[in-house]
Amino acid sequence: MSFDSTYTRELPLVEAKKSFKEIDEVIALPTETKPTKGWWIAFSISSTALLIGAFCLSLTFYYGIGMWGNNNPVGWAFDIINFVFWIGIGHAGTLISAILFLFRQKWRTGIARFAEAMTIFAVMTAGIFPIIHTGRPWLAGYLLPLPNQNGVWVNFSSPLLWDVFAVSTYFTISFLFWGIGLIPDLATLRDRTTSKIKKTIYSVLSLGWTNSNRNWSNYERAYLILAGISTPLVLSVHTIVSFDFAVSVLPGWHTTIFPPYFVAGAIFSGFGMVSTVLILVRKVFNMEHIITIGHLEKMNKILLATGMMVGYAYGMEFFIAWYSGNTFEQFVFINRAFGPYAWAYWTMVSCNVIFPQLFWFKKIRRSIPITMVLVILVNVGMWFERFVIIVTSLHRDFLPSSWAMYYPTLVDLGLLLGSFGFFFTFLLLFLKTLTLVSISEIKAVVEGAQPTIHPHPGGNGQHHD
Amino acid sequence: MDYKKKPLPPVVGKAGFGLLGIGLVLMILAFAVNTQRAFFDYLWMYMFLVSIGVGSLALVALEYLVGATWSTPFRRISEFLASIIPVLAILVIPLFFGMHDLFHWTHPETLQNDPLLQSKASYLNVNFFIVRVAIIFVIWLAFYFLFIRNSQKQDVTKDPALTRQSIKLSAIFAILFIVTISVTAIDWMMSLEYHWYSTMFGVYYFAGTLYVSFAVAAFFAVKLNENGYLSERLSNNHYYSFGAFMFAFNIFWAYIAFSQYMLIWYADIPEETFWIIMRMKGSWAYFSIGLVFVHFIIPFLILLPRSSKVRPGLLTKMAVWFVLAHFYDLYWLIMPTYFKDGFVFGWSELGFMMFAIGLIITVFRIRAAKTNLVPVGDPKLESGLNFHLN
Repeated sequence: MSFDSTYTRELPLVEAKKSFKEIDEVIALPTETKPTKGWWIAFSISSTALLIGAFCLSLTFYYGIGMWGNNNPVGWAFDIINFVFWIGIGHAGTLISAILFLFRQKWRTGIARFAEAMTIFAVMTAGIFPIIHTGRPWLAGYLLPLPNQNGVWVNFSSPLLWDVFAVSTYFTISFLFWGIGLIPDLATLRDRTTSKIKKTIYSVLSLGWTNSNRNWSNYERAYLILAGISTPLVLSVHTIVSFDFAVSVLPGWHTTIFPPYFVAGAIFSGFGMVSTVLILVRKVFNMEHIITIGHLEKMNKILLATGMMVGYAYGMEFFIAWYSGNTFEQFVFINRAFGPYAWAYWTMVSCNVIFPQLFWFKKIRRSIPITMVLVILVNVGMWFERFVIIVTSLHRDFLPSSWAMYYPTLVDLGLLLGSFGFFFTFLLLFLKTLTLVSISEIKAVVEGAQPTIHPHPGGNGQHHD
Repeated sequence: MDYKKKPLPPVVGKAGFGLLGIGLVLMILAFAVNTQRAFFDYLWMYMFLVSIGVGSLALVALEYLVGATWSTPFRRISEFLASIIPVLAILVIPLFFGMHDLFHWTHPETLQNDPLLQSKASYLNVNFFIVRVAIIFVIWLAFYFLFIRNSQKQDVTKDPALTRQSIKLSAIFAILFIVTISVTAIDWMMSLEYHWYSTMFGVYYFAGTLYVSFAVAAFFAVKLNENGYLSERLSNNHYYSFGAFMFAFNIFWAYIAFSQYMLIWYADIPEETFWIIMRMKGSWAYFSIGLVFVHFIIPFLILLPRSSKVRPGLLTKMAVWFVLAHFYDLYWLIMPTYFKDGFVFGWSELGFMMFAIGLIITVFRIRAAKTNLVPVGDPKLESGLNFHLN
């Protein structure tokens, strides 16, 4: 909670006291107006990127994954880096909507819906990569443990299979959570729109919502249960992703701190991406009084905290590699920091641990331009973290004869670009079709909307006993 | 604010002194009978008290840091429990005389014949070890005195600036806490088997400290409030939060413990698995399986329903359970180095446990005699008393 300087009065979450009608209007406006020029420019950029990605993907399908820079010993590269990167981005949404909901953090209302949408799109983006990484994506059905005539079964003891379960569960629950959360807002949009087509679509999606008491009590019960179910999922997905590496015997991959370290990193990168996009969106759609600087400041605090958790893991890994006395462990970490990929390692350390230290200063936490720069650096740093973990651990194998450098090809870079295109295209469509802030939740945190608990008028709870 | 200061009933003092006294006698006997075993027991007790003392200080910092209000009426309880820290600074000294008995890496002949140990001797040597312990105590004591001073001063001055200052202190302490608690875990427990290593170990102990210090805070909070020592305005809403956090920290511990075990088991590297195998030998196998049930599964199932998080009687019982579970966990971490063939629990171990619990009660009672049980000058108190779940 945020307080004023006397720590007795909570600061309002929505600035500039607005009536409920005004809130409806501001939030519904993007869905009711024609896209602006700026939106079209953004959309053409993102869809171009998407098309470049699609082109590179068709090259990959036609010629095979030999089009990528992967080699022996670097068998995992951009494919897995991008997968882990995007899955990580997808963690902020569920954290905000499930864990912050259970922690009763009311400030989440301003950013929850948007972050949830991002989660959905990020997980969709992430899902592409392991499938194309198999090299024969048309056989992806075999990833599921379905009985078949050939008697071919999946390897249940492989964490790669657990990924299939973890990610698909995560996507399903996040999607339901998002969809259920949207119902009251969809009903609002349905009631506001004058277009017949829109009315039909919103009517179907809002499942006959009438705002009745019974609707609300069912809704809130469902929301609480889904929050409870989603909470372990926030941890499980990236835990399983970390198992992909940590169950191996490879120095640099096998280390016991990986599960919480990956989860902290995922939340870190997710908040980085949410901030990056929100800063633009709140400006473009005039929502600065709903998604306030207070929200950005709180997110910056979370970035600072999770950034240091990641820093703790970097430090602990390095220390234990030395402490273990195992020369191979030591070599991997020395090689990371001072080998041919040292630039990537130090990019990672500075973007994820050093630069976020600036968030210690309140002035910087509340400065939008500096925050923008720092959160973009977080995105960069977290992509490089996966690069460092994957490529530097592989490129110098136990035998010096199996040492090689990894260089991405144009197709690799095109796929990376395409993944951003895919993500942002969906995001831009979302901004124009659905509410990017939950209307009903925001109304509940507007000053004066809460039931008064205190017996005395004035509500600052000064009792006279 | 309806808080009126009342003295604690004399039975608390008697129980504390009684346990402390019997524990002390048994401890002395234990040292006389079997010095090495007594040192291991002593280390076990010491780590338990570190969990409570330093963990409680971390909870105080956590409240300031995240701006929580529901826990403000109970903050004094954690502050009182943090008063174990100055006692720890004295209790640690005997351990330095047991270094030879406890830590194999201190033996010169081991060092001579073990190239792996030689490679880490610049960290694992007695001098640096003691220096680290000393530095860590300086940090803990400094923050302990600063937090307590601010909080007590505020009882009189009601100055919000003190809260602001404590928030800043908390941010610094949060980092130092994580680092010092990790180093403490590595030095005192991981280095018992100096060949073994796990990057998770610091986090594992950290999870345990929060688990137990929250439970002890919940125990005192509910007991005091049910007997009318705090405020009538504290209710189920507050109890629920205690229950929910105990539940959450339990899951967090289980998550960390499972991750560490699972990764070592799956990778199956002999450098790491021997530590698990030690805990699977003879009767240790039952003890290890028991840990899963005692520490995680049983409390998980009991605390899962919403209704059990608001039942004061159940909460205090579960808090006692958590305390015993943490003893169990630390025993599992420390004792296999001494009892190699199977676990043993005798009067000696019981004596050290009694001493630890007696010390906690006594420290609490002494602090509670002089200081308000509720931080009456804290500006967040009112909001904390008014706390409602919905």
